Amino acid sequence: MSCELKLKERIGTINPIFTCQPAGAQYASIGIKDCIGIVHGGQGCVMFVRLLISQHLKESFEIASSSVHEDGAVFGALNRVEEAVDVLLMRYPHVKVIPIITTCSTEVIGDDVDGVVTKLEEELLQVKYPDREVHLIPIHTPSFVGSMVSGYDVAVRDFVKYFAKKDKPSFKINLITGWVNPGDVTELKSLLAAMEIEANVLFEIESFDSPLMPDKSAVSHGSTTIEDLISTADAQGTIALNRYEGGKAAKFLEKRWDVPAIIGPTPIGIRNTDTFLQNLKTMTGKPIPDSLVRERGIAIDAITDLTHMFLADKKVAIFGNPDLVIGLAEFCLDLEMKPVLLLLGDENAEYENDPRIKALQEGVDFDMEIIANADLWELEDRIKNKGLELDLILGHSKGRFVAIDNMIPMVRVGFPTYDRAGLYRYPVVGYKGATWLAEQMANALFTDMEYKKNKEWILNVW
Amino acid sequence: MEDVTKTRVEQLIDYIMKNCLWQFHSRNWDRKRQNENIIGMTTRLLCGEPVKPETPEDKCYWVDAVCLAEAYRARHPWLATLGVDQIRELMAKLHEQLDYQTITASLNEELTDQHY
Amino acid sequence: MPYHEFECSKCIPERKQHAVVKAPGEDLTSCLPKGYLNTIPGSISERGCAYCGAKHVIGTPMKDVIHLSHGPIGCTYDTWQTKRYISDNGNFQLKYTFASDVREKHIVFGAEKLLKQNILEAFAQFPEIKRMTIYQTCATALIGDDINAIAEEVMEELPDVDIFICNSPGFAGPSQSGGHHKINIAWINQKVGTVEPEITSDYVINYVGEYNIQGDQEVMQDFFKRMGIQVLSTFTGNGRYDDLRGMHKAHLNVLECARSAEYICNELRVRYGIPRLDIDGFGFEPLSQSLRKVAMFFGIEERAEAIIAEETARWKPELDWYKERLKGKKVCLWPGGSKLWHWAHVIEAEMGVKVVSVYTKFGHQGDMEKGVARCSEDTLAIDDPNELEGLEALEMLKPDIIFTGKRPGEVAKKVGVPYLNAHAYHNGPYKGYEGWVRFARDIYNAIYSPIHQLAELDISRDPIPTDKGFATQRMLSDASLPEDIRTSTTLRQYSGAYDTISPLRDKTYPTFDSRSAAAE
Repeated sequence: MSCELKLKERIGTINPIFTCQPAGAQYASIGIKDCIGIVHGGQGCVMFVRLLISQHLKESFEIASSSVHEDGAVFGALNRVEEAVDVLLMRYPHVKVIPIITTCSTEVIGDDVDGVVTKLEEELLQVKYPDREVHLIPIHTPSFVGSMVSGYDVAVRDFVKYFAKKDKPSFKINLITGWVNPGDVTELKSLLAAMEIEANVLFEIESFDSPLMPDKSAVSHGSTTIEDLISTADAQGTIALNRYEGGKAAKFLEKRWDVPAIIGPTPIGIRNTDTFLQNLKTMTGKPIPDSLVRERGIAIDAITDLTHMFLADKKVAIFGNPDLVIGLAEFCLDLEMKPVLLLLGDENAEYENDPRIKALQEGVDFDMEIIANADLWELEDRIKNKGLELDLILGHSKGRFVAIDNMIPMVRVGFPTYDRAGLYRYPVVGYKGATWLAEQMANALFTDMEYKKNKEWILNVW
Repeated sequence: MEDVTKTRVEQLIDYIMKNCLWQFHSRNWDRKRQNENIIGMTTRLLCGEPVKPETPEDKCYWVDAVCLAEAYRARHPWLATLGVDQIRELMAKLHEQLDYQTITASLNEELTDQHY
Repeated sequence: MPYHEFECSKCIPERKQHAVVKAPGEDLTSCLPKGYLNTIPGSISERGCAYCGAKHVIGTPMKDVIHLSHGPIGCTYDTWQTKRYISDNGNFQLKYTFASDVREKHIVFGAEKLLKQNILEAFAQFPEIKRMTIYQTCATALIGDDINAIAEEVMEELPDVDIFICNSPGFAGPSQSGGHHKINIAWINQKVGTVEPEITSDYVINYVGEYNIQGDQEVMQDFFKRMGIQVLSTFTGNGRYDDLRGMHKAHLNVLECARSAEYICNELRVRYGIPRLDIDGFGFEPLSQSLRKVAMFFGIEERAEAIIAEETARWKPELDWYKERLKGKKVCLWPGGSKLWHWAHVIEAEMGVKVVSVYTKFGHQGDMEKGVARCSEDTLAIDDPNELEGLEALEMLKPDIIFTGKRPGEVAKKVGVPYLNAHAYHNGPYKGYEGWVRFARDIYNAIYSPIHQLAELDISRDPIPTDKGFATQRMLSDASLPEDIRTSTTLRQYSGAYDTISPLRDKTYPTFDSRSAAAE
């Protein structure tokens, strides 16, 4: 009976769980209205991230590249940034915010992106665009540091740091969601609305799920405005739901602008949602209304139908973004399941001190492994070669073959989930998310029983 | 060129452009070699002269030439009305025009690159 | 020059030379866009990088190889599971990807030791795989790691393994095409001639520039095998590493995608005297011509003719069913490179559609020469298009369908244009006779989906037709067809299976007497 947090022993990565930092910064950038980022590096750093996002959301998002080619790699490529900013501004008259997102190549060659931003502000913007509101924001996300998760964290902080400014105190709170789906934002806003709390949601990405309109006018983009970002400094508090995706921004606002911060827990499952509501109540003084008692009751009712009858003792492996994985593991425990293997796709010194991980280490009564810096081979190798027996896998689509080849049912959750339809539309957070997750897991197990003819007759009576 | 010859050359070129790939090898010298050999062999085939490819390289030209000659015969009944000299003359003009379009007046700036 | 200037690109005047309209009377001496030039920064071009051109497009389809990228994890992750190049060995190349996971400390102190540990570790984890390709990335190119030296060291320590090095960092060229070039040349320089292959036929080819998208290679290989031709290697779809080391022993290089693989064919010609035969595997007539040419090269025409006759009889009535219903439909043919010329003429000739625009993301002027030559008058040809130009072209041309990649397909969706995946296909394979019918079927299903009709309706303003509970593709496609075609008993819809590739893998082939044996 032990729960160990350890690093993957192998040095290399076989089937990575994450992509690199610039991808996280890009995902953050599309959450802002009138914003097109420029990724300073090779074109693949943008093209593939745009593809990945479009695979996940089935929508296309605009992100530009400085298109660094050979000469730039040799002689420096700041001129490419200058040109990119000008071209973007000329051709996209609505654009106001341009994050300049670095990559491994431009960090290695040592391009002074902050310097070129100053230069552009003093020259190009003054001379050619004197009457236009333009914000150039350097975001340093070398790919050889951290992962897409830290890239998202860094970018959210940098956007907030750039814009936040005190005006007059507001009753609003800041809600930093972390790397979530449109469906999560909808659910979070519905909880806030029920408590009559106004919030700056970073980021307002419900509009990622955009329609196909008869007049063909719809485009997919985030809706967080510059004003929203500026006013984060005036908020009465910040709740960052995820420690590793948005925590930095919350800490910054607390330190620089005295905006009290509550970081976590990721409101996955009943218990963590309860805590989230309590945090909202503490921060705003607003009561938790009866409507949420009822909503919670519906979730509890649904889960009661499933948990001890079908989900209890099922062994689960979970991989993906750390806050998501931890939140799911906690929820699984409440569902009487056994999350025996948690895979966190990057190395982060803070994992050791994460109170949630500590609590798992102290509290679980079965053997559980938590692997940091993990890859998907950690999962597959255990299944294929080391006797790990699993009933269920929770994770994103890049792990699909582990499930398929080893005949283990899998519920797609996290980013990206391109091999299932419409998952971005459903929340994993809040009471609705808890219901959805529990039912998805149960249905995955049911389908598996039927395909394998494994006591499939059980469901004749339920 | 007389109008009728011009029209006929255009028709023959159009078939190559729409259906063949051999005229678009990577470099000037390759295109020259391809055009010369394939048009040369096609001309001989159309004139009823024997073509016996020996080397692999010649065989490769020959298969394209045979297919081209067959397509021309099938599509352009007027070919059957021409004498051998007229065919030679027509094909020489075709060759000239093909070289012009794909080599000498080509706008493809990579044709003169010395490396593949 | 009949350049086309996009409104949205007037402020970047150099773009003007990248688009042309093939007006009446124009030919290649007056009508060809610029190509393969550095991208304009910030233009939101669709291009990728030279690393992906090497690793993702050409390297990875090799099926029995550990594909290790020396760099941070992102390059590896991003170029993994976004293609449909299958293989007959359980798709190892699709499922597994390896990154040396370069971190900040390695950038400072070098990553060679890290690389060596990675190589040893990867071979240890997959002991049945003895071949590896190592791809350089931007980061490791810039810090100057000597990958060759490390690979040599490992090959000395592990005599049964072989390692190929591909130095094609992301910045090496204007687009992914730079990587196609680099890996072609690297392969012939490092690996061709290092294995003497077993020759099992009098007729031996390399099948080059074919990536087995949804099984294309296996379809073509089936034709070759039915003719008794040995496909010594395929570069690279479904290809074996050691087979590709023996490329020098083929009699003929049959070249499909000249964009990505003409370089190695040219070098094989110069160095080993193997001729290059460019073919089209798409479309009944071009494919028939191609099979005929390969067979003629070996003097076995009758074997090709038998296949052509059989396949045409089986599938032509199905192709023609779709042709009747696709006539005049406007297509934007917007692929990456080679399909703009593989498809431009033949989809007009055999499916009756009208190509109103061609573009190439990463092609060269050579591709545009072929594309412009093959498309008909008034077609708009665009090199390295960007987001706004694409939208402007869609607005101007109002196509019925667009053949492009996944993400640009999402852009088209929003303006009401259905998309069909030109790179990965919808329900391929699209090569071969049956494959060509599958392509026509996919186009038909895309264009005549009842959802497009519903998408047009503005329920707040338009009269809502309340008399119908449903529509079918047939109702939409056959509404204006002549009676005899609508009720034809010779034409028929596609009748093949969902998976046409798996059965090929268990197929047995006729044996032919060898020429030398026959002569004895």
